[in-house]
Amino acid sequence: MTNIKPNSSSHKSDPNRRQVLAGSAAVAAIGAFGLPVGAQTTAAPAASGAFASLGVPHIRRDGAEKARGGAKFAAEYSYPGMVYGALVYSTIARGTITSLETAEAEAAPGVVLVMTHENAPRLERPEPFYSSPTGMAGSSTPVMQDAEVLWNGQPVAVVLASTQEEADHAATLINVAYEEAEAVTSFDVAAESAQTSFYAGRDLLIEEGDAETALADAEVSIDLSFNTPAHNHNQIEPHAVTVLWQDGILRMHDCSQGVDLSAITIAKVFGISPAEVHLSAEYVGGGFGGKTVWQYHILAAAASQLADRPVRMSLTREGVFRICGARAPTRQRVALGSDREGRLTSLIHTGTTMKIENNSMTEPFFEQSEHMYRADNMHLEIRAGTMDMLANTFMRAPGAATGTFTLEVALDELAERLAIDPIELRVRNEPEVNPTTGRAHSQRALVDAYREGARRFGWIPRSGQRQGYREGEWQVGTGMAAAYYPYKRFPGGAARITLNGEGGALIETAAADMGMGTTTATAAVASERLGIPYDAIEVRHGDNTLPGALIAAASQQTAAIGASLTAAHEVLLAELASLVPATSPLHGLPAAELGTAEGALYSLADPQQQIPLVDLVALSESGTVSAEAQGGPISEWTQDWSMHSTGAVFTEVRVNSVTGEIRVPRITAIYDCGKILNSKLAESQFRGGIIMALGMTLMEGASFDERNGRVMNPSFGSYYMPTHLDVPHIDVGWTDIPDPQAPTGARGIGEIGMSGPAAAIANAIYDATGKRARDLPIRLDALM
Amino acid sequence: MTYHRPTCLDDAVALLQCAPVEVIAGGTDWYPARGDRPVTSDILDITRVDGLRGIRAAPDGWWIGAATTWTDILRAPLPPDFDALKAAACEVGSIQIQNAGTVAGNLCNASPAADGVPPLLVLEAEVELASATGQRRLPLAAFLTGVRQTALQPGEMMAGLWIRKPAPGRAAFVKLGARRYLVISIAMVAVWLRLDGSLIAEIRIAVGACSPTSVRLTALEAALTGCRVADCATRFHADHFVPLAPITDMRADAPYRADAVQALIARAITEAAL
Repeated sequence: MTNIKPNSSSHKSDPNRRQVLAGSAAVAAIGAFGLPVGAQTTAAPAASGAFASLGVPHIRRDGAEKARGGAKFAAEYSYPGMVYGALVYSTIARGTITSLETAEAEAAPGVVLVMTHENAPRLERPEPFYSSPTGMAGSSTPVMQDAEVLWNGQPVAVVLASTQEEADHAATLINVAYEEAEAVTSFDVAAESAQTSFYAGRDLLIEEGDAETALADAEVSIDLSFNTPAHNHNQIEPHAVTVLWQDGILRMHDCSQGVDLSAITIAKVFGISPAEVHLSAEYVGGGFGGKTVWQYHILAAAASQLADRPVRMSLTREGVFRICGARAPTRQRVALGSDREGRLTSLIHTGTTMKIENNSMTEPFFEQSEHMYRADNMHLEIRAGTMDMLANTFMRAPGAATGTFTLEVALDELAERLAIDPIELRVRNEPEVNPTTGRAHSQRALVDAYREGARRFGWIPRSGQRQGYREGEWQVGTGMAAAYYPYKRFPGGAARITLNGEGGALIETAAADMGMGTTTATAAVASERLGIPYDAIEVRHGDNTLPGALIAAASQQTAAIGASLTAAHEVLLAELASLVPATSPLHGLPAAELGTAEGALYSLADPQQQIPLVDLVALSESGTVSAEAQGGPISEWTQDWSMHSTGAVFTEVRVNSVTGEIRVPRITAIYDCGKILNSKLAESQFRGGIIMALGMTLMEGASFDERNGRVMNPSFGSYYMPTHLDVPHIDVGWTDIPDPQAPTGARGIGEIGMSGPAAAIANAIYDATGKRARDLPIRLDALM
Repeated sequence: MTYHRPTCLDDAVALLQCAPVEVIAGGTDWYPARGDRPVTSDILDITRVDGLRGIRAAPDGWWIGAATTWTDILRAPLPPDFDALKAAACEVGSIQIQNAGTVAGNLCNASPAADGVPPLLVLEAEVELASATGQRRLPLAAFLTGVRQTALQPGEMMAGLWIRKPAPGRAAFVKLGARRYLVISIAMVAVWLRLDGSLIAEIRIAVGACSPTSVRLTALEAALTGCRVADCATRFHADHFVPLAPITDMRADAPYRADAVQALIARAITEAAL
C-alpha cells in the first residue's frame, strides 16, 4: 500500500470530474444521468448532426435482421451432403468404458457414422484458458481418445445420420458398459483437500496485516457463512456448430465468443495451422462466458473428417448442461471488524469453490473485497477443491456475482450492528486509492452513484432499525448494495479501417457480437474517431480471417476495439498524409499534426485547413485507403491505474408472511462505468444483468446429485429462471463520467449488472422480515 | 409404428379394441415424457374425432369434449362457476401449451400437480369413458386413482367431461410456485362457493400437489358452511387437512406445503367471494 499515484494530476484536470466532485447537484446539472450526452464529446471540430455518434442511442444494427428471421446462426448453415450429429453421454462420474455396443446404431436408418474412442482420429488435448495465451477450451480433458470417463455426462459416442431424428434415435441404440471407479462428487469431501488456488497468474491469497487478530480485537464484528450453488448460462441459443472440411480448410460456423482464439485452439487439437481453420460466428444467441471451446466442436470436426461429410452438431438443452460448463458452487466466509464509527479494521473474505483436475478456472469471488473498501487488515483467500464433474468456467461476472452477494450482505449486517445507515457505512470506507495495490483510481464516483440512487429510489436512511412495514399478508422492505466489476483490456485487439470513394468506411475486426451490440458500438466509436457519419460505417466482425484475436469476455471487448481503432486511425492518418497533393496547405504535415472530422482531413493547428476524405481516396491507386493496427499496450490497468466499475443497487421486496413468496416490485441501479457509449444498449445490458441476478437470487441453481455426479435439472422445465411476470420495473442510470485512461472513456458494462442485486434483495428481505438469507437461491420455503 | 387419426368416435374406440395404442391429444405431456426414447408404439390421435372438441351447454349442464384445449376453455362464454377452471387454463404451461394441451389429457396424465384437477373437482365433474362396448360415467375423484394412475380400462378412452349445472356460484383458483409463470405447482387450491349475504351457503374446496391425487377437503367444507367469509381462516383445524399428504421435493418441503395450503385456501375463498 505504498505506491505513489502515477499521475495524480490527470483526472483532476478532467472537467467532468471536477463538476462531479462539486457534488451530485452538479452531476444532475450536466444531465449525465440516463440522458444522451452527445454534447460532451470532445472531438474538434465538435461533432454534430450526422457526425454525433458516441452517446447517441442508436438502435442495434442486428436487431432488424433478427426480428425478420434473417440472421443466420451456427445451426442454420447447410451444405450438400450434410449430416447431423447426436451425442451419447456417460452415466457415471468416473471409470472406464468396458464395452460399447454400436452395431444396432450403425445399422439404424440413415446412420452414416458411429464414432467412439475406438475409431476417433488421434487428437491433441485442447488448450484450456490460462494454459497458453490463446487457450480457449473449457478444459484439457482429452476428447474421446480413450476409455476413461471423467465426468457424468462426458460424450462417449457420436452418431452422424441423414436427419437429426435418425441421429437422435440411433444414439439411443448404443449400449455402454462401464467399470466404475471411486469418484469425488461431494463438495464436503473435495473441500477437505482444497488448496489455495492459483488463478489468472496469481495465488488467490492476499494478506495485509493480521486480520484474524484485528477481528478478535474489533469493537464491533460479524462473522458469516454463505453458500451459493452451481449455475448455468442458459443462453437462448444452445451451443451449435456446422463443420465442413473443404480444400484443406476446416470451415466452422460456430457460436463463439472469440472466433480467433477458438480457431487457434481447435487447429492445435487437429495438429493443423490456424490458417487452415476458418471459423466464423456472425450471430451468437448469447454467450455469458459459456460460448467457448467445448467437446462438441472437436467431436463434430473429428466426425466430419472421419465420415468425409459436412456435419451439423446442435446440442439439446440437456446437452448444454452435460458438456458445456458454467459457474461453480461456492462456500464463503465474510468476517468484518470495525471501530464504533464503522471504520473497517478487519476484512476477511475466504472460502472454497470447486474446479476439475484439467482446468485452471477458480471462481474468483473475493475480487470486490480486494478493491471496494479500505480496511486496515485483510485476509482474502480462495481454496479450490477438485471434483469429478464437468469443467466449470466463466459465467457473467465471475466471482463478483456471488462475491458481492456475500460481502454486501455482511456490510448490511455490520451497518445494522453499528446503527449506521448502510450507505453511510460504505461511504466511510470508500478508499482514497486502491486498498490493495495503492494505485490511484482512474475515475471513481461511487459516492455520487449512492447519492443519486438513494434520491431516485427514495431511500430512507436507517440507523440500526428495520424500516420494513406490513401491508396485509405482505411484509415490505427495502435494501441496497454496491455493485462491482473490474475494468480489463486484453491484448490481441486489432482493426482494419478502409475508406471508400463514397465517403464511407468499412471496419473489420474479429470481435464477437453475442447480441449485446458490439457492431453498433463499434460503428459509433469508428464514426467518432474518423469523423464519418454513423450510417456510412459498415462493420464486419465474427470471423477469424479478420484482424485481431478479440474475445467478448470480462466486459472488455469494447475497450479493446476502441484501442484498436485509435491505433488504426493513427496509421490511417499517415496513409492519408501521403496522399495529400503538393498544392495543399496540408502537404508535408506529419500524421501527428493531422486529424479527421466531418468527412475531411484537417490540420490540428489550423482546423480551417481541410481536404475532403473522398478527394484523398480518389487519389489512391486502388480507390480505397486502408489501415490496420493492433491496440496499444494494456498497461493502463495492469500497471498504472486502479480501474474498476462500481454501482449502487436499491430494491424493494415484498415477502408474503404466510407463504414466503418473494416479489421484487422495484429496482433502481446507478452505475459508474465511465462513458456510456450508447444509452439504449447500456440500459438493456444493465437490465439484462439485473434480471439474471434476480434469477440467481431467487430461483437458479443446477442441482448436482452428489451420489453420482449428475446434474438433475438439465432443462428449462426444472432449472427456473425469471419469467416476464417476475421482472419488475428496473430504473437504471449512470454517472457517465469518461474514464480518462480507458480507450473510449468507457470501462465496460456487460457484467456489472450481475453484481449487487442479490445482496440488495437479501438485505431488503431482512428489512421486510427480520430474517437473514445467506444461501442462494432464496426460495420461499427458506423464509418460513 | 402407425399414427392413427380417426374422425369418428366409433373408429377410435374400434382401434383401441384391436391392439395396444397410445392415446394422445395435444401430446404436451406425452412427448416430453418420451425423452430421447424413440416412439415404437402405435398412436391414436383423437384431436380429429368429430364432436370431441368444444364445449356445449345442455339443459342440465355442460359437456367438455376430450380434445378441448385450454385455450378453448379460456375463450368459451361460461358462467362464474368456471372461473377457477379458466384461471387454471391461464397457468397450464405457456400459451403454446395451452393452445395444444387438452383438459382430458391433463386428467389422463394424472399428475398430482395437474392444474386442471382441483377446479374440476369443485365443479363435481364427471368423466365419460368410451369403449367399443359402450360408455360409462365416473366422478372425477373416482377416475383418478393414484400418481399417474386412472380408472381407464384397456380399450377405454376419455370422451369428455360432464358438469352438472350448479346453483349459481363463484370460483377461484390459486397456484403457488417459485416464480410467477411457467412453473410446476408447489401447491394449488380451487374453491367454488355460493354466498347467502356475507355467509357461505355452500362451498367446495380442492387442493392439488399435496397428495397423490388432488382431493376435496370435505370436513373443511362442512366446517365453513354457514360461516362468514371473513371468519373462514379462524375455523381451520388440523383435522380438516388430514386428507393431505404433502411430500418434500426440490420445489418445497412437506411442512412448508402443509402450511402454505392453508394460506392459499384463505386467499382462494376471499378471491371467490369478491
